[in-house]
Amino acid sequence: MVEELTKVFPGKRKRPDKRAVDGISFHVKRGEIFGLLGPNGAGKTTTIRMLSTMLIPTSGSAMVLGQDVTKDEVRIRRRINLVSGGERGLYYRLTGRQNLRFFSELYGIDPHIRDERIDRLLELVDLKESADLRVEDYSRGMKQRIHIARALVNDPEVLFLDEPTLGLDPEIARDIRALIRRMADQGTTILLTTHYMFEAEELCDRIAIISNGKLVAQGNALELKDSVNNATVIHVETRDDPFEAVDVLEDTEGVIHVNYDRVPGRFITRIQVEQSSDLLGDVNEVMRGLRVLRIGYDEPTLEDTYITLVSANEH
Amino acid sequence: MNIRVTYAAFRQQMTHFLTDPQWIIPSLIAPFMFTIVTLMIFKDVDGPIVLQAVLGGGVLGMWGNTLYSSGWSISYDRYNGTLEPLMVSPTNLMDVVTGRSIWNTLIGLSNAVLVFIFAELMFQTGVGLSDPLQFFFILVITLASLASIGLIFSAFFVLTRASSVLMSSLEFPIYVVSGAMFPISILPGWAIPISYILAPSWGVDAMKIAAIDGYTGIGPGILGSLGIMIGLTVLYIIMAKWFFRKIERNVRNHGTIGRF
Ligand SMILES: Nc1ncnc2c1ncn2[C@@H]1O[C@H](COP(=O)(O)OP(=O)(O)O)[C@@H](O)[C@H]1O
Ligand SMILES: [Mg+2]
Repeated sequence: MVEELTKVFPGKRKRPDKRAVDGISFHVKRGEIFGLLGPNGAGKTTTIRMLSTMLIPTSGSAMVLGQDVTKDEVRIRRRINLVSGGERGLYYRLTGRQNLRFFSELYGIDPHIRDERIDRLLELVDLKESADLRVEDYSRGMKQRIHIARALVNDPEVLFLDEPTLGLDPEIARDIRALIRRMADQGTTILLTTHYMFEAEELCDRIAIISNGKLVAQGNALELKDSVNNATVIHVETRDDPFEAVDVLEDTEGVIHVNYDRVPGRFITRIQVEQSSDLLGDVNEVMRGLRVLRIGYDEPTLEDTYITLVSANEH
Repeated sequence: MNIRVTYAAFRQQMTHFLTDPQWIIPSLIAPFMFTIVTLMIFKDVDGPIVLQAVLGGGVLGMWGNTLYSSGWSISYDRYNGTLEPLMVSPTNLMDVVTGRSIWNTLIGLSNAVLVFIFAELMFQTGVGLSDPLQFFFILVITLASLASIGLIFSAFFVLTRASSVLMSSLEFPIYVVSGAMFPISILPGWAIPISYILAPSWGVDAMKIAAIDGYTGIGPGILGSLGIMIGLTVLYIIMAKWFFRKIERNVRNHGTIGRF
């Protein structure tokens, strides 16, 4: 339960204050996977740090498991845990098992339960064989998995994951996503941040999109697509680089947003236009001479929606 | 204080140390050099000078360990990314650092013992303690005060964001001012008060009184020195608590520790 949550980092020396999170409100249900989606610098990490009691909100309020993140931090800390993406955050000279044991002790877990749980967690993250190797000898994916096991030593009711697949190889990222699913199936409430749209769509029951510290939309993937239902997409594939045409289109009346991508052998341009406008002819005109392979209307994907919402907020 | 957390941190530090025990060597160099040089200069003298050399070397080793191992304690976690999981747990950071600081102090003690054995083998100093039991008791309290200074160093260094620079620039002054190298009485006047606010100076003084026949010390005698040392140690612990609260506050308000 998050209400009007705001964080302003006081500016250092001559720099102005930074309003990293600006009055966001949302509610996460027990047992669901909730995603905070947004571009770099949107305020995702700051939000997740406030909810995990690592930062005190400047204003607004946030309750986790019925407790106030500002005042009841010790009580909350017993029942939550946090994983930040990246390789850091483990004692490299200790083994995987020693790391888990040390972190278990911080939660005062009964030794019987502790050892049993550690075995179970090692199994869950598929590190049983490597449990007694030093973490410095682990691969990238193994480190990320032991990280997650570390965050489960206190059997948290709510798990915060900050960009859990950041910088991982696609296959390893897939393993991690499967692991997140499994934890959710076991009843853990998960709040994760990501800037990968497809990851949010694949994993999350509900998604909140934030941009520039503000929440711009929330709901499940379908609801989000509907929320910008006044947009249609014109999909164009060309042989030649359309960068000049894109400049022209961006200034055209009725165009919401244009983005284009190079894929092997061609360029894909997606132009989001207001539903009422009929711009197919204009687009055809501008794209003439670029060896158009395909042109036509298309259903907006979640990615288009995301781009629309985020770019609308940036202006 | 949470004994379980402190003990877990003690074991963690021990495991860290045992995976790479050669790290003890750098912290042995200064005390060994000091002891050897002193003993070579005063080769033909016996009694007090020899003890001063051996004790001084031992204390040097203990100080060096406190400064470097404990001083680096939280900075290491910050650099290693483990500060975040420590802070997100319901544990008090100070309990963790206490466990590590106790281990580091024991390593410092083993430095001192190594210096002593070495001096004995090389120079056959044949030193004996006039009152071993008393000496041992003072030693334990001195170690406790060193461990509490370790807490202050670790918190202070991470707050000032200049761990390594501060550590190396403090090393020599501390060796001198703590009375390990020279008797405090020969220090320049301005340095004496600094020496007096360092609890282990009183411990070293009390140990010398206990160990060296005829040494009268800086004033208050064994019991007086012990009392002052215990008082200062309590003060250090209170200061450390305050520093640790400041760390938690900085992190939760600004997202970073160092604000000076
Ligand atoms: N400790 C801090 N002090 C000052 N500004 C910060 C701090 N942490 C983050 N910011 C700023 O707040 C904004 C949001 O950052 P962050 O929450 O990390 O975004 P995200 O995780 O979505 O990429 C950024 O502009 C960032 O530079
Ligand atoms: Mg982030």
